[in-house]
Amino acid sequence: MSTSASQVPAQPTESESAQRRPPKELADVSVIVGGQGGDGTLTVVDLLGRYFRKRGLYVYTSRNTLSRIRGGHADANVRACRDPRAAIKAKADLLLAFDQEAIDVARPELDADALVLYDSTSFKADFPNALGFPFATLAGGQLGQPIYKNTAAYGAITVLMGFDDVVARQVIEERFKRRGAEALDKNLKALEIGRRVALEVPSAVNRWTLPEGDAHGLILTTGNQATALGFVVGGGRFFAGYPITPATEIMEYLMRYLPNYHGVVRQGEDELASINMVIGAATTGARAMTSTSGPGLSLMTEGIGHAGTAEVGVLIADCQRVGPSTGQPTRHEQSDLAHLAHLGHGEFPKFILSPGSAEDCFYLTVDALNLAEKWRLPVILLLDQALCQNASTVAAFDLSRVKVERPSVLTPDQVAKLDAYKQYAFTSHAPAPFAPLGTPGVTSQITGNEHDEWGHVSVNPVNRHKMMEQRMGKLLWARDELPRPHYFGRKEARLGLIGYGSTSGPILEAMDLLDTEGIATKYLQARTLFPVQQETLGPFLDSVDLAFIVEHNYTGQLARLVREEMPQYHSKLRSVLKYDGYSFRAPDIAGPIREAVHGSKR
Amino acid sequence: MVQSAKPTANTWCPGCGDFGVLAAAKKALLDLKIPPHEAVLVGGIGCSGGIHNFIDINGVHALHGRLLAQAIGLKLANPQLTVLAAGGDGDGYAIGMGHFMHAFKKNASILYIVMNNETYGLTKGQPSPTSQIGFEGNIEAPFDAILSALSIPAPNFIARTFSGDPKTMTAVLEEAIRFNHERRGFAFVEDLSPCVTYNDTYKLWREKVVDVSKLPGYDPTDRKSMFRLYLETTEAGKIPIGVFHRPAEVARAGLEAKLLGENVGPARSEISVESNLAAYQKLLAGVA
Repeated sequence: MSTSASQVPAQPTESESAQRRPPKELADVSVIVGGQGGDGTLTVVDLLGRYFRKRGLYVYTSRNTLSRIRGGHADANVRACRDPRAAIKAKADLLLAFDQEAIDVARPELDADALVLYDSTSFKADFPNALGFPFATLAGGQLGQPIYKNTAAYGAITVLMGFDDVVARQVIEERFKRRGAEALDKNLKALEIGRRVALEVPSAVNRWTLPEGDAHGLILTTGNQATALGFVVGGGRFFAGYPITPATEIMEYLMRYLPNYHGVVRQGEDELASINMVIGAATTGARAMTSTSGPGLSLMTEGIGHAGTAEVGVLIADCQRVGPSTGQPTRHEQSDLAHLAHLGHGEFPKFILSPGSAEDCFYLTVDALNLAEKWRLPVILLLDQALCQNASTVAAFDLSRVKVERPSVLTPDQVAKLDAYKQYAFTSHAPAPFAPLGTPGVTSQITGNEHDEWGHVSVNPVNRHKMMEQRMGKLLWARDELPRPHYFGRKEARLGLIGYGSTSGPILEAMDLLDTEGIATKYLQARTLFPVQQETLGPFLDSVDLAFIVEHNYTGQLARLVREEMPQYHSKLRSVLKYDGYSFRAPDIAGPIREAVHGSKR
Repeated sequence: MVQSAKPTANTWCPGCGDFGVLAAAKKALLDLKIPPHEAVLVGGIGCSGGIHNFIDINGVHALHGRLLAQAIGLKLANPQLTVLAAGGDGDGYAIGMGHFMHAFKKNASILYIVMNNETYGLTKGQPSPTSQIGFEGNIEAPFDAILSALSIPAPNFIARTFSGDPKTMTAVLEEAIRFNHERRGFAFVEDLSPCVTYNDTYKLWREKVVDVSKLPGYDPTDRKSMFRLYLETTEAGKIPIGVFHRPAEVARAGLEAKLLGENVGPARSEISVESNLAAYQKLLAGVA
């Protein structure tokens, strides 16, 4: 049925299967909101997320946008759950669609029982279980501006899901209070418009009920924000970067944060400039970082090698996306690890660390800064699109857990007591403490040429041999200080999972799923990926019959790295891979493990 | 005094134009009474880029073409430092061209000296971005750094010197470093520095150089007239040397001054959690 702007009040558009049914309690609910960029889909997801959090539920949101500013399909997903889940639910319960494309795109993601709520202003949904209201027409007619269609749609959802109307209203007030009185007023009216039309349709009222949860006092944050915050409290004071999806928000957050702490953020002319500005800043003793994604990482490789051999401690956050080349800028992948593990020409030491949650991003960034400064080498913080940009509810960050350690930075007083200061002293252990450029009483030579202990260019073969051992030795000597994995699951399990980054969320959910089927598993969430942590991986692999390495790429990069360093475990390793640009859903991981178990029983 | 890195033996060919720059830079730093630990020289790759080895201040040997990015990062992190960057025409105008042009825009208060010899000396005489047509088969137009510098509307100090005239060079470098110390921004000095082995241009350049300040209508505060004067002089077959741009205002236009004001900057800021506790608590409270 078609509608026009003159039809007020509007008649709902309802297909036959959307008839009245008893309310269904959803302990785990997933809503997709889809339309054209600029339809305000993200606002609806934000409003729903705020409501769910007020009910004590854990929230996880993700967005699926194209690499363009306006227009083009865009959708976002919000999940609310009584258990902490850092993954997209396998099948969504409700789709709010602003056009038919949103339905077509989301169709494979929808539960068999899912409902499509849609704006019937300009189309009739081609979907068996659909409910349409002309939100844009209603908002345009009553508020003078059709753009309030999204808040009106939120209003209809509050009816469908049996929201407490006081709390539903509070959410609008919180979201729009800073936008001025008019914006707030119109959004409140839009909420009522949506509620009113939905309440007129019996099958729409309290279609679902949501439980109360106990997840209170948490924060909602992304990996990018947590990394930026970790950088600040970890003493980071200099950042240079070049805009690139999905890393840009780290720079944007730091542009807001760092000036309050005498810090500097610069947008470079390219990634070459960015990494080199960071290296220059770090020579003065400033804790410095850049963030980038695959294409920028390729350009920075030259600079990272320089930092490795010139022994300048810097931090590089790599927010992985689909590559190579421009790939899919807004989509998810974990395919830079092979490049990073074998980074650059020549040989130099570096650490690759990976946090497994937004919370872990905060603390691991602090550790990464301490390690980069002490060991005077590049540290790569390996993130991925889902970890960087999806938001999850996590425990508030705890400053008492943040330790800024500077044992390796010489003060002027310490320098004055030295007989000699050598920038590149042979220690056969961690680098000797260094004097930042500008320290009274000493001058330094810092170079990417092979050098002697003073930093003077050297082609002496004995010196070269010793310098290689001094630098590469860091990979051995630092082992005890590198971040350890997080372990989950049943200790006695004979099936293991190994993963890193955002895969932790779906892995933990898959384990719960398998547990209900009587399949016991355990999980090693790797946090140091390079050097390959044999001392933690070895005992874990010894304790299982099979280990599934879960990662987002075609070639099984982490599995290959483990095989390369620990070939004795070759026959125990299996890969669970996904490389379609979407992140894992729990069944994608549970499936292959279930198959392996049942296969072995037969 | 703690024993630390000292200058090493020079490796340049006898008669190399780069000796002139080294002597002038040393004298300028001495005359301005800058303590060695407060000065940093960032060298590029190539014969001239090794200059940081031969001078008793902090030295940084950067990647080919990336010295300006490192030097700017250094300055922004610790604005108290006197930061010099020095390299050749290949380093600055070929592989480093992107960073070179952006340095004028950024306007950080550092001094960049390009030793232009119109060839790649260290790799044995290939044509460089400034090579004349015909040099070693070069068929591409030579790049003019002064014209390019003048084309960017930023309050930079822009000059050219000649290694055959060390006295003027010292005066120009001193003025450039003072310009940096006044936090006015980026100083660029191109030195005509002949390569005695692969492109000995001493005689030719001595005949062609002309002191721009002696020409009628010289006004380095007026970009428009300097463009015209520069073009007219070069089109007449001469090579103008001297100061081409010296902005009139003494505003704190330097990038580090704009960003930091009187703040100490990243390197000297206090980073312990204890000393930032209240501010950090407030920052984290903003994440809800």
